[in-house]
Formats: sequence, structure tokens, C-alpha cells
Amino acid sequence: MEILSNLALGFGVALSPFNLLMCLVGVVLGTLIGVLPGVGPVATIAMLLPITFNLNPIGALIMLAGIYYGAQYGGSTTAILVNLPGESSSVVTCLDGYQMARRGRAGPALATAAIGSFFAGTISTLVVALFAPPLAEVALKFGPSEYFSLMVLGLVAATVLASGSLIKAIAMVLLGLLLGLVGTDVNSGVLRFAFGVSELADGIGFVVVAMGMFGLAEIIVNLEQTDQREVFTSKVGRLMPSKEDFKRMAPSILRGTALGSALGILPGGGALLSSFASYTVEKKVSKYSHEFGKGAIEGVAGPESANNAGAQTSFIPLLTLGIPGNAVMALMIGAMMIQGIAPGPQVMTERPQLFWGMIASMWVGNLMLVILNLPMIGLWIKLLTVPYRILYPAILVFMCIGVFSLSNNPFDVLIMAFFGVLGYICAKLACEPAPMILGFILGPLMEENLRRAMLLSRGDPLVFFQKPISATFLIISIVLLVVISLPALRSKREQAFAGEEQK
Amino acid sequence: MKRLALLLMLAATSGLAPAQAWPTRPVRIVAPYAAGGPIDISARLIAAKLQESLGQPVVVENRPGAGGNLGVDYVAKSAPDGHTVVVGAIATHAINPTLMGSVPYDPIKDFRHVALMVQVPNVLIVNLELPAQNVGELVALAKSRPGRLDFASGSTGSTGHLAGELFKGMTGTYMVHIPYKGAAPAVLDLMAGRVQLMFDNLASALPNVRSGKVRALAVTTRARSGFLPELPTLDESGLRGFDMTTWWGLMAPGKTPQPVVERLHAETLKAMAAPDVRDRLRAMGSEPPAIRTPEQFTAFVAAEQKTYAELVRRSGAKPD
Repeated sequence: MEILSNLALGFGVALSPFNLLMCLVGVVLGTLIGVLPGVGPVATIAMLLPITFNLNPIGALIMLAGIYYGAQYGGSTTAILVNLPGESSSVVTCLDGYQMARRGRAGPALATAAIGSFFAGTISTLVVALFAPPLAEVALKFGPSEYFSLMVLGLVAATVLASGSLIKAIAMVLLGLLLGLVGTDVNSGVLRFAFGVSELADGIGFVVVAMGMFGLAEIIVNLEQTDQREVFTSKVGRLMPSKEDFKRMAPSILRGTALGSALGILPGGGALLSSFASYTVEKKVSKYSHEFGKGAIEGVAGPESANNAGAQTSFIPLLTLGIPGNAVMALMIGAMMIQGIAPGPQVMTERPQLFWGMIASMWVGNLMLVILNLPMIGLWIKLLTVPYRILYPAILVFMCIGVFSLSNNPFDVLIMAFFGVLGYICAKLACEPAPMILGFILGPLMEENLRRAMLLSRGDPLVFFQKPISATFLIISIVLLVVISLPALRSKREQAFAGEEQK
Repeated sequence: MKRLALLLMLAATSGLAPAQAWPTRPVRIVAPYAAGGPIDISARLIAAKLQESLGQPVVVENRPGAGGNLGVDYVAKSAPDGHTVVVGAIATHAINPTLMGSVPYDPIKDFRHVALMVQVPNVLIVNLELPAQNVGELVALAKSRPGRLDFASGSTGSTGHLAGELFKGMTGTYMVHIPYKGAAPAVLDLMAGRVQLMFDNLASALPNVRSGKVRALAVTTRARSGFLPELPTLDESGLRGFDMTTWWGLMAPGKTPQPVVERLHAETLKAMAAPDVRDRLRAMGSEPPAIRTPEQFTAFVAAEQKTYAELVRRSGAKPD
């Protein structure tokens, strides 16, 4: 029953008027920057850090955390409405969310994202409250070999992401892997594929690539289709999901929440993987797998729940081990240190008010987001009725500002333009960008962990099969590979047969 | 009076407006690393105070990339009028010039080294299950198992890496360097026992040392640290002369007029001495640096550059 008193303590802290206000400020600000393409939570939190000096530590951290999950929310909104993923986790939301919007179902898509996120947020907050310390031990069990094998599994699963040709999907994954090689080699410090451009020394930024491949390319494609551009505006349709929609999204939300909660614990790409993983699972499990990529509600519900759950549980390594799971968490560590709090295992015991207050505020923040966002859906959809001659230039300007603000370097805007053209070419060739993005994210992580594991094992590759967790992932990958290749053959044959029968 | 005369003289010879005219517009402090890191945070702390004393907005601009070189190079080539300054660090001004073969700026000539802001020691930490309780035992262990121990670092060419190489060189041991992307994942693997030791910076090591998740064996500075006064230095543990700190400070373009440098220096020291700033810098593991004047700072940068050039070459960290 200790947990109840702890949660009571937490809610006591989180529900104080000042902290409620901080939470509200955080989530509103977060939603706003999430909606603006390219302006991410990292830049925003950094800019707000000096303001937090004068706040009390709990209020400051509650606000910063609010910005983080508020941004996740806002990011999904632009992903659905205009195909612009502001955050890595909303790349997947683009796939079916944008398609739903194109079919006049932007309302249900946005509502699904909100409901899924809230449910996932509720459950994963409980997970953090109940299991944070034991789960931290799980994170410790993941070393280089375990991460490598997990990434292999992720990449194998990635080929399932594509709705079209398997060969093209694999080609796009490989392209992503190659692009991920650009930059400084971790082990030797040698520059690879930078061509003497020092801006490329740290590699190509993810946000830059995603905005180019999805957002910019989409704009170019749309400009080309003069006659079809009225698609959205004519049929905005209903705002809320139907009963049928709810029935379809419920299991996806449950699965997404479970996956996201589990993967979010892993520092170093865990939370990122969760939305990709959820999409893959949904596509395999769903009865409606043929609808994926064309506006399946499961393709929005699952990944949206997963990324929110992952965002929540990624606080576990931060709060229990003092290890940041991603860039935003690293900023939170900075914020804590400024406040004179050393992040780490002692936070929970030495400052229970802070620890439990933050956990309670996560749930409060999620509730605020739903309350704020559900009524806003109507307003967001109005955005789609803005004529394209105004909407597109406006989006372009925001994208350029956003990308520039990443590191105050105009070079990034050029890179985005390059990927916009590449994205357009890919669209023309019917090659999907999602597998490429996944390869681009996972490639460098995979290489890094592979080489580190090999260094630690002094060059013995068997190490990947000697560790049980790692071996399990690899075996699942192999099984998956076999399964993928079999049904691909089978379904092709079935299609062929079906075609014959119809004649 | 003498000072005033000097000011006037310098203002006249440099042909620029007198010191009172600076700053005439907002001052930009370029932080050449990502937002939220210790360098960025300390820059923002100082900026808030400078804004009050200079009467002009002081903004921090992050220009990360190429190990900090992008932002530093940008400022080196900016107008030397005191409106664009940079936080230069041990990486950009002492290590990178050798590590990367060449950098597009001269760490000494292209800068006025205004004020050293932060000096943080590294701490030698080991996994709890490692049977070494002190530096002597660690050296003995490393000698009995040559090439079996691993030491982690936040990146190739970081102070953590170079401290490890210096340690190997001075003790005649052989350990394998395992580079990570940032110190956080390295510490995680150290706690889990996948790597055995690491030279981590004091601020990030401190909570783990205090909560007993890792064991600290020594600090890398010549003097003991006030944060862990019971912890011996490497120097007193038998590695005579071992002295390494991670540092960073405010720098202006090389041709910035002397009066501007002096005013900026005075205001920066005042900002660092403000109780709230001092406390927050302390929370990052830094005690007020002994180096106070721009001249001392320049001499320090030059000396550090020489030390690390030698160390980088010896470590083999430099890519061929």
C-alpha cells in the first residue's frame, strides 16, 4: 500500500495550484512547438532553461516534462494534417494518419491519436510508479550485443513497414543505412563521406531528413496534381471516431501501450523504436492489413499509443539511474543539475516529493492535453480549408525557420531541400520513405553497438549468441525473415489463384 | 588615472569607439555545443548576469557541429567588436587542433581569451565488482591481466579517453579503449560491469559515487577536489605529475579591442562571483578557477595545447 501513499503524495504536489499552472504552461507550449514543424522540444527546453532558474525545482521540471509530451502531441497533429513529422516518433503517424486526412477523416485520426496517447499515458504512468526500480535493472541488462540484436530485429521488421514492393523496401532501408554512415566514425574519429564539409562531421540530422522526405516532398507532389488538390477541403467529414472506429482502435491501443512501455525503458533508441515496432505488429496482426498505408485507423492508434507510452517510461532510466534515454532527457538532467539535484537513484529516496510529484504530473499533463486537444480538433481541421496558395508557402517558411533553428546553420536548410527533391524522386518511383528513415535511425546505432560489442569480445562474433537476450532477438529475427519470405510467396500465389478464379 | 589613460590610448590606437560605447547592440555568446549540456548551461548562467550589467540583451546561440569547431570558427571570423563571443573549451582549443590534424582557426592568435569559467576534474571510477580498491591495486590488476581490462570514454579524443591513455603510458599497463557516444551510456555499461573503468567528469560521476553505484579511486587534478576530499589524487597515488581538468571559458575574436576585453572580463568575473551563479557552477563540479586574468588564460590555453598535442600523438587517437 506504500504505492498508494506515494501516489497520494505525488498528486498532492502535482495538484497544487502553482504546479498545475506550470503543467498547463508546459503542455500548451509543447503542443504549440510540436505543431510548428522543425521547432522541437530540445530547442524550446534549452531556451527556457534560464527561466527555470528562478522557479522551484518541482515546478520547473513539471513544466519541462509538460513541454516534452506536449510536443509529442503537437507533432502528431502536423503529421496527420500535412504529413510533417516534427519528431522521430511521429514519422509512423504520417503513414496512415495523413492518408486518413486525405480521405476526409482527419477528425477521427486526430481524436484517435489523442485518445490513444491518453490511454497509453495513463497506463505507462502507473508502470513508472509501480515498477520503476526493478525496470531500471532491465535497462542495465542491455549492453552492446543486446542492442545490436534488437536493432537487427527492428530492421528486419522494417521491411514489413512498406505497403508496396518488398525489394523496394529493402533498397530503401539500405539507402537509409548508407546515409546514416555520413559523419565521424565513433571508434577511430575518422570522417566518412563528409567530402570536407565540416557541417557533415556530426552526420545528417534526423529532423532535416524527415522534413525533407515527408513534408517538402509531399508539397512538391501536391503541387503537381492540380486537379486533385481539392481532396481534403471538400470533405472534412465527422470529427469524432465512429463506434466501428472505436472497436478497431481499442486492441491496437492496448498493444501499442504494452510495446511502448516495454521499449521506452531502454536508453538509446528504445522509445524511438516503439512506434515503428507497433506499426509493424499492427500490420501483421490486423484483419485490415490491406488498408495499411491507405488510412487504417490501427496504423494511427497503435504507434501513437506506443510513442506516448515510450515517452513516459523513458523517464525510468533518468529517474532511477540518472541515465538520459534521449536528447530531451539529457536536457532534463541539465535542468536538474542547475537546480542542485544530482539525477540518479537517490532522487527517489532523498526527494520523494519531486519524484512522485513528477510522476503524478505526467498523468495530469496527459489529461490536460486531451481536454485541450479534443475541442481543438475542429479548429485544426479548419487549417485544411486554408487555400493551398497560402498554406504551402506558410508551411515552407515554418519548415525553413524550424530547420535553421536546430543548430542556427543555413546549411541544414539546404540539406532539407536536397532531401525534398530525393523524396519527390522516391514518390515518383513508388519507393516509400519510412523504411529509409528507419534504416537511417537504426544504422548508426547498430554499427556503433556492433563494433563496441566486437571490441569488448576481442573480435569474437559468437558473443551475440552467447548472451540469452541477444540470442533471443536474433532467433526471432531469423524466424521473422523466414515468415516474411514465405507469406510473400504464398499471398502472391493466392492472388494469382484468386485472379484466375475470377476469370 | 593610469588605467583611464591606458584605455584612452588603446581606444585611440585601435581607431574604434571608446569602451563606453560597447555594447551598442545585443551581444551573442555562441555555445559551440548542443543545448542543455554543461557548456551551454554555464553560458546561459553568465549571459543572464551580463545582460543586467551591460544593459544590452545577451543571448546564447547554439552552433554545434564538428566537435565544437563550427561555432568556434564562426566566432573567430566574426567582427571583432565584442558583440559576438564564444565559449571555447579544452576540445576546441587544446585537443582538436592535433586530434583532427588541422582546424580552420588558430586557437591562440585568432582569439582573446577573456575569462576561464569552469574547470572540472575527471574522476577515475571502476565497477563495484572489480577487486581493486585503490590505484595501486588497479595497476597491479592491469599488469596481471594485460589487455583484459576495458576503459570506457564519452568519445575518441575526449579528456576521458586521453586521461586513460596517459594512465596507461605512466603505469606501463595495457587496457582497451571502448569509445561511446557520450558519457551516459558508458557509465551504464560500467555499472553493469561490461567495462571495468572510466575517467568520468566529476559532475556526472558524483551522484553515482555517493549512492555507491560505482567506486571512485582517484581524481585527475593535482589537488584534491573539495567535493570528494577523502579521494586521493592520481599524483599522490604514484602517478607523479598527473594533472588534467576539463575546462571552458569566454573568448572573443582575436582583434577585439583591449577596452572591450577588459570590460567583458570584469563583468564576467563579477557574474561568476554572484552567489546564485557560483552555486550553480559548483553544482556542475567546478570550483572558482585560479586563473583570473586574460593573460593568464592565454598562457594556460597555450600550455594546454602543447600538453594535449603530445598526449594525442602518443595515444594514437589521431586518425591517419
